[in-house]
Amino acid sequence: MNFFIRFLVDFAYFLNSSVWYQKKRRFFYNILENDDYKYKKYFDIFMMILIFSSVSILIYEVKRDAHDYFQFFNNYIISFIFFIEYMLRFWISSSVSKVIIHQNEYVDMLNRKFDFWYVIRRVLRDKLEYIFSIKAIIDLLAIMPFFHELRLLRIFILFRVFKLFRYAKSFQTFSSVLATKKFEFFTLSMFASIVIFVSSVLVYVMEANNPDSPIDTLYEAFYWSIVTISTVGYGDVVAVSQEGQFVAVMVILSGISVLAFTTSLFVSAFTEKIDDIKESKILQDISKMQRIYIICGYENIANEVAKKLIHLDFKILILDDSPQRIENAKKDGLMALQYSPGSVDSYKKLNINMSTQVKSILCLREDDVENVYSALTIRSINKDINIISLLINHVNKNKLIYSGVNEILYDKEFVGLIAKEYIGQPVAFEAIHTIRSENSTVKMEEILVTERIANNIVYVQNLDNIKYRIVLLGIHKKESGRFYFNPINDTLLEVGDYLLVIGNYMFIREYIKYISKKIKS
Amino acid sequence: MKQSNVLIFGYNEYGLEIAKNIFSKYSNVTIFSLDNTDSIIDKDTGLKVENFDLSDDWSSLINDYDLEDSIVFCSLEDVAKNIFLTISLRSAFNNLFIVALTNNNEAANKLRMAGASKVIPIVETTANMIVDMLKKPIITKVLHEILYENSDLKIEQVKIANAKYFDGKYPADIEWSRDHGVLVISIAHEDGSSEFIYSSKTKHQLILNGDIFIVVGYEADIKEFEKFVGVNNEN
Repeated sequence: MNFFIRFLVDFAYFLNSSVWYQKKRRFFYNILENDDYKYKKYFDIFMMILIFSSVSILIYEVKRDAHDYFQFFNNYIISFIFFIEYMLRFWISSSVSKVIIHQNEYVDMLNRKFDFWYVIRRVLRDKLEYIFSIKAIIDLLAIMPFFHELRLLRIFILFRVFKLFRYAKSFQTFSSVLATKKFEFFTLSMFASIVIFVSSVLVYVMEANNPDSPIDTLYEAFYWSIVTISTVGYGDVVAVSQEGQFVAVMVILSGISVLAFTTSLFVSAFTEKIDDIKESKILQDISKMQRIYIICGYENIANEVAKKLIHLDFKILILDDSPQRIENAKKDGLMALQYSPGSVDSYKKLNINMSTQVKSILCLREDDVENVYSALTIRSINKDINIISLLINHVNKNKLIYSGVNEILYDKEFVGLIAKEYIGQPVAFEAIHTIRSENSTVKMEEILVTERIANNIVYVQNLDNIKYRIVLLGIHKKESGRFYFNPINDTLLEVGDYLLVIGNYMFIREYIKYISKKIKS
Repeated sequence: MKQSNVLIFGYNEYGLEIAKNIFSKYSNVTIFSLDNTDSIIDKDTGLKVENFDLSDDWSSLINDYDLEDSIVFCSLEDVAKNIFLTISLRSAFNNLFIVALTNNNEAANKLRMAGASKVIPIVETTANMIVDMLKKPIITKVLHEILYENSDLKIEQVKIANAKYFDGKYPADIEWSRDHGVLVISIAHEDGSSEFIYSSKTKHQLILNGDIFIVVGYEADIKEFEKFVGVNNEN
């Protein structure tokens, strides 16, 4: 026994430290259970297609003879895939090796004997917990046609429809919303059950011996009661005696209240949860995005910036702790969350990688205290992320610098500079302003020198920009980080440099194509 | 176009920033405050701060300043008062050059209707700056340095007074950077229209006296260029 336990523990450690095994296990966990995993949706869609095709074959078979291939596909192929899925879920539902390792460490620490039966009990408990979960039972029933070809068992195919709950997120959301009103639904169903039970018995007692009454059995009385309380009232089974009709009136009145309560419960459950549902949808969408711009605070400038960025197809997310401002952002059609930009928890809840998914964070509250606080919070989470902040009062500039802001925008200083330039050189200012405006056909663009361009064009003299009616303002060299105005002809082009050009945007587009295609002479 | 007097209405951070940026270039900069009862000297800038009210009595302004030779900034924080001030100045002085500041787009339209010669919409301008920083960071940085900071690289407007110098050549045919060390971005004509240097029109339009070239270059090169073609040569 000791040898066996030693082997078991060694094997558990081996599995736990095996990169290959853990990688596979993580992969199957992600594809089956992790909603944030980007390939899970393809798996879900595949499984839903299988379910629908299985049900379609069942419906087709009712009046016609399905081809043997369909039967085989339905009974064996689909069932086999479902079986594999069931086994994989069974495997990942709990880790046996972890239970063994945990027990081994526990006994090592306390210097006790390894309790093999405890491990067995614990593993069985975990696995049985999975086996008897509603979802697992549905999964198992959906595989049933695989084991038996009896016509009766074909009805189990319908259980495959219930499997949709696993794959369609909206079904899960629906059930989770209703689950919040569990107690209310339970109370209501208890009330309805009592009314149905009492009325069934009463109407049976009063009608069963009446030769004119269609209610002869307790089952018919029960059927009548359900049809009446639900306010459906088919009219195929009715109470004919006065006493029976009195019971019918009572059941009808109860039915109205049961229906009204049920409807209001559904509505209130969704009304209460609608914000949470929307929030989780936003979080889910964000987790899949790249190059996100987070705007902290939604006031006048943030509103204007957001509008312009959306117009440019930038992906932006608004964070603000004010419900009113978040409401405004939502009305403007933006993705907005009522999270405090100054709280570390807010960024944790976003569940995104700040280094790879977020491009820049803009602190645009019109309040220096809030911007400093937000910037410090963000910097404490990530040291490299680009932070741009507004400065409202110039005395707070240093505080923003110390809090780690990369770019500070002081609108008053900016207005002063514009005023100076405008009254000094209005024509030049207007010319540049026109070129920078979105509606101008003449644009100022930065062209990244890619490896292809650098291979094709070695020196500035080979750029041929004049041929495309483009002004080459200069080159921003990656290595030195400096801008070289009007570079001399033998300036070398290197990967990562930027060409700053001015020209008609159509010509610029053509020019980019040209320099990317140009064959080195 | 360059006026001698600058009158800034609004003793606030915007007004002071404008004053700070221009007082080295203008002989007479005065700030007007709506709140002060007595004239004071601002501690930071050393500029006169005089009081005014929104009545239509501009006699002291007419007596103390040559309004034909003045530029006015309306930068009151209260939007309604700023619009009222603009419309009052325009109704009193037809030819006065008025630059008005505003925080919102709605007021920007009203200020234009009230007669402001130029409106600086602060929110929109700041938002544009932020968006440019994100969209084209290098261009924004370079332009910011050229336009607003004390780098050697400048953008200047050069008025042509010696068109003969170009000897009947079209602007697009001249190699500006090789011949003059400057880049000509666009040309503004006397009728107010302006063209990009490589537009179809400039290929067929000769350079005339009175045209204004928008050039980018190092200060010394621009001065040299001006000597050949600009007003200096004429004198």
